[in-house]
Amino acid sequence: MSAGRAAAFRRLCRASDLLRAPRDRPVSVREAAAAAGMSPFHFIRRFRALFGETPRQFLIRARIDRAKVLLASSDRSVTDVCLEVGFTSLGSFSDLFARRVGVAPSVYRRRVRARAGGAAPGCLTLMAPAFATFEKRGRAVAGRLPRS
Amino acid sequence: MRIKLTSIMVDDQDKALRFYTGVLGFAKKHEIPVGEYKWLTVVAPGRDDLELSLEPNANPAAKAFQDAMFRQAIPLAAFEVDDIEADVRRLKAAGVAFTTEVTRMGPVTIAVCSDTCGNLIQLYQPAAQE
Repeated sequence: MSAGRAAAFRRLCRASDLLRAPRDRPVSVREAAAAAGMSPFHFIRRFRALFGETPRQFLIRARIDRAKVLLASSDRSVTDVCLEVGFTSLGSFSDLFARRVGVAPSVYRRRVRARAGGAAPGCLTLMAPAFATFEKRGRAVAGRLPRS
Repeated sequence: MRIKLTSIMVDDQDKALRFYTGVLGFAKKHEIPVGEYKWLTVVAPGRDDLELSLEPNANPAAKAFQDAMFRQAIPLAAFEVDDIEADVRRLKAAGVAFTTEVTRMGPVTIAVCSDTCGNLIQLYQPAAQE
């Protein structure tokens, strides 16, 4: 990596850390761009190429991900979790969570806790239930299983 | 015993499927919903010798590892290509961010880019056999 490119890469990584760091007041895209030493336009373009989404989308994903972990692993109320990850309105948090995850925060917590193996599967652990689902549906799995 | 399946962690499986198929050019092999995630794998087009599982990095331990490697600019997967110059040109035109330009490293030529899902991936082309 050339020196200039390495520096820009580090600055973009630092900006991503800023965006997702837990804090009382969210970092604006303008502030994150300033921290990266780029104009907002340039910053959004470079950020998206590196992380696959805009800084705003990245921030929201980080908050929802953090909420999922808190819901799964702590006994804090949904309101508490909402405030902790940086949302100020329970309504907008619950709506956004439901849109992204498919269920309301409280339902998510119940489901995750009922699931054997805890909150966050390593993906190779998904293989067995995936193919089990396949068989249950009576689909032909022969030839579709990972085999030589 | 064979090596038939390997995996890479991704921050979003739908985004990963778009990048690994639509941008890199792999083909989807399996997409089976399992709860909020999927058993999701891709293969190189026209080949079925090795499957790559795009795994959700939902586990905080996995995420911490992936973040640390990314920030140290260390690629977590490498894909062999036949014409690295052409592939890098094609990927750049698609907006892919490269952290290492095409570089000759002894017997291989490499380039490193972001997979947009939290990883750097290395493309490499072995030197032609004389």
